[in-house]
Amino acid sequence: MTLQIELAGIQKYYGGYHALRGIDIAIPKGQFVALVGPSGCGKSTLLRTIAGLETITSGAIRIKGEDITRQPPRLRDIAMVFQSYALYPHMTVEKNLTYSLRLKGVPKAEARRKAEEIAEITGLGQLLDRYPRELSGGQRQRVAMGRAIIRNPKAFLFDEPLSNLDAALRVHMRAEVRKLHNSLGATSVYVTHDQIEAMTMADHVVVMRAGVIEQQGAPLDLYDRPVNRFVAGFIGSPAMNFIDGIVTEAGDRVRLTLPGDPIVSFAGHRPAGEAVTVGLRPEHLNVVSETQTGNTLRLPVSLVEQTGSMTYVVTETEPMLTIAANMSRAILTAKSIDVQIDPGHVYLFDRTSEAALQSL
Amino acid sequence: MLSSTPWKRWLLLAIAVVLVAIYLFPLYWMYVTALKTNTETFANPPTLWPHHAELKVTRVWNDMGMGSFIQNSLVIACGTVTLVVLFGTGCAYGLARVRSVWMDVALFLVLMLQVLPASLMVTPIFVAFSQLGLLSWPRTGTILATAANKLPLYIVLVRAAFTQVPRELEEAALVDGNSRIGAFLSISVPLARNGILVSAILIFLQALGEYVYSRSLITDRAYQPATVGLQFFVGPNASDWTGIMTFAAIYVTPILIIFVLLQRRIVSGLTSGALK
Amino acid sequence: MLRFNRVFRDGGGFDSALVLLALAYLVFFSAFPLIYNLVISFQSVDLFTIATFDRPFVGLENYRDIVNDPLFWPVVRNTILFVGVSVVFQLAIGLALALFFRLDFPGATWLRGLFLAGWIMPGLVVGAIWGWLLAGDFGVVNWLIQSLGLTQQKIFWLSDPSISIYSVIIANVWLGVPFNMILLSVGLAAIPADVYEAAELDGATRLQRFFTITLPMMRAQLGAVISLGIIFTLQQFDLFAALTQGGPSNASNVLQYWSWELAFREYRIGHGSVVSVFMILVVIFVATAYVRSTRHEHVV
Repeated sequence: MTLQIELAGIQKYYGGYHALRGIDIAIPKGQFVALVGPSGCGKSTLLRTIAGLETITSGAIRIKGEDITRQPPRLRDIAMVFQSYALYPHMTVEKNLTYSLRLKGVPKAEARRKAEEIAEITGLGQLLDRYPRELSGGQRQRVAMGRAIIRNPKAFLFDEPLSNLDAALRVHMRAEVRKLHNSLGATSVYVTHDQIEAMTMADHVVVMRAGVIEQQGAPLDLYDRPVNRFVAGFIGSPAMNFIDGIVTEAGDRVRLTLPGDPIVSFAGHRPAGEAVTVGLRPEHLNVVSETQTGNTLRLPVSLVEQTGSMTYVVTETEPMLTIAANMSRAILTAKSIDVQIDPGHVYLFDRTSEAALQSL
Repeated sequence: MLSSTPWKRWLLLAIAVVLVAIYLFPLYWMYVTALKTNTETFANPPTLWPHHAELKVTRVWNDMGMGSFIQNSLVIACGTVTLVVLFGTGCAYGLARVRSVWMDVALFLVLMLQVLPASLMVTPIFVAFSQLGLLSWPRTGTILATAANKLPLYIVLVRAAFTQVPRELEEAALVDGNSRIGAFLSISVPLARNGILVSAILIFLQALGEYVYSRSLITDRAYQPATVGLQFFVGPNASDWTGIMTFAAIYVTPILIIFVLLQRRIVSGLTSGALK
Repeated sequence: MLRFNRVFRDGGGFDSALVLLALAYLVFFSAFPLIYNLVISFQSVDLFTIATFDRPFVGLENYRDIVNDPLFWPVVRNTILFVGVSVVFQLAIGLALALFFRLDFPGATWLRGLFLAGWIMPGLVVGAIWGWLLAGDFGVVNWLIQSLGLTQQKIFWLSDPSISIYSVIIANVWLGVPFNMILLSVGLAAIPADVYEAAELDGATRLQRFFTITLPMMRAQLGAVISLGIIFTLQQFDLFAALTQGGPSNASNVLQYWSWELAFREYRIGHGSVVSVFMILVVIFVATAYVRSTRHEHVV
């Protein structure tokens, strides 16, 4: 497998601040990688080091096997789409698109032809002679994309490119970016703080926190098998519920610190008496009409939020739990609710290290 | 804004016009005097409007030797602006882009040098220049000293213009394959163009009115600028006031025209630079 | 070449080089003279020794001479008077105008901008014009105050020793008002309108709003404008050259003009430097206060 981008042991200090702490990522050609994490986790910094806009303290960046760690941006042959789009306001759309070509000395006529071709692909048809200030947000976004595509670079970098668009357009552009990636056979690294964007677009998701990669892998792997409480809480919407619990004598059940000390069973075995954090995804709490045997909880209702397709029930417990239920008018007036849990969907985390606990 | 009723707004406008008129009366008086005959100038009571307006531009220009004065003023102003733009633009850019302790120190130094009065700096400069033999080229010496005096102000103003240019634009240019110098010249400078232009014009106008250095470093009449020339005619025993006011009017009219044309931009450039 | 490329063409060396270039110029033509000035103030310098490098050091003799000079204290007093009165009037008139032009009427911004015409004029020309306005026998100011019945006698603005300094102050206030007004306008504009609306709902009168909202919120701005006013007034030289030349008999002389006179009229260059050193210390003190206050502003 040829690696298009390879990051090995990247460390970055800003003075005394340790921004990136040993980042290793291997990206094969054609892959769409999403860097995701809360703000300040270092994902944008990491992207900028790939572009060459930030130097790194130690480690290596290789593109197609060639070490480019010390190369300036202009020699890296990488394109970047900025959050603000960074369109040159004093240039027309055409000049914006062809800026990199003109720097390379591509003849005018050929640059123009390429610009028209790109405009066709990105749907900018008649806008080549406009200035960025005359374009709508979505059109600017397309110019920024076009400017990256026209160069046919070794990799595309995206720095939260959709965050300035309104919600509807964002969903539309998500699909469009991904389609473009596929049709170009490109290699892309995409930074976002929105885990839904990461999950829906990427082949490979990298979850970062405080300069460290918490977990990386295919989107569903992260969803199904989070390695720690942070990833479990970050991936999935609404976020996973966490409740403290103690493993019972039998070793395959856990007593939750909820009113009535309910006990639920989980898949596998843990030492009796172990203090754990139990993770339950809202969508794994199945609302059942009457008390059934095994793995059910009765929970007092505090608030019901309706989105139309889904209904979210917030319980009046400490901690508060969120339950995702299908639309049902009965829930609206219910004082309490019964939910059932599949033991296979009960996640256990160590209370101190927060690491996911494997079955013994 | 505080809103008011229509008639009140017009009343306010009238008061504002009166205030401006009072403030600008000295300028008006300069022009009126320049147009009066010698006898009318000394009439009592003074006439607020010239009865027999006469233009004495050519007479004053020739009698007072204004050609050489104005030419020297232009030479000094152009030289100063060239040096200031050449040295100051890049410095302003660097100070706007890089955030570090060293840059803060540099900025502090620039701000401190901005306030040094020319009248106090001229003595050591005179001594040093005479030791270096620079006084043999008095206009060059004046340009060098004036540029050093105006450079900090230009840097402060243009720095404010550069901070308005988003950093990402330049980064996009770097990723697109440009070098630092290339991105500076093709992205940052064109986008800060207005600020640079207005600041340069401001420095030009100030250098055009420069007095202390020219007075102190230039002894030869043939190289002295208009300020020194004008000073020669005023003084406690001045009598040819029509001539002096004509001289002044010829000298400042171009300055005032440039100012009125660029008024809004100069004001905004000044306020953003001075306080941020 | 590769190293050069890395540092200047693509690296941070580019910014540093640009900054250092200008700093080198400033160090050579501003900072060095500043220090050289100090050196000269300890030397005996006259027309004959000016071009040589080994001038006799005389220690603090120049400083003793200046402080014991009969002119020293009168000139210091004049300088304080000049700065104090100028700054107070510039600020008061500037603030009044800034408040007035904040009102809503057509052309407010444009008319306000016209005031800067005074500021852009060469100081020497302003001096010449005021010299004519204030002329003793035929000046329009004398005619005006006489016909308004304010005085019977003509006032000899420029040649009366007890008045001449005030003539320069008048011209200086005229020069300084526009700058004060514009900077204060910026400060006023920065106060959000909803704060005033909230105060009005809370029942504050116009006057109360000025004292409880405008003034407190303008504190930093006022500090900056006062420091800049002091600095610009201490820089004022051209008006003295055009109006009174420190006269009559030094009645309107101030330190910055005296320093120049000592060096360039009487060729007592060492003595001129001493006065210059005093003044520069004062200017730097005020400027430090100003820069620190604006930096502070930034953090908040």
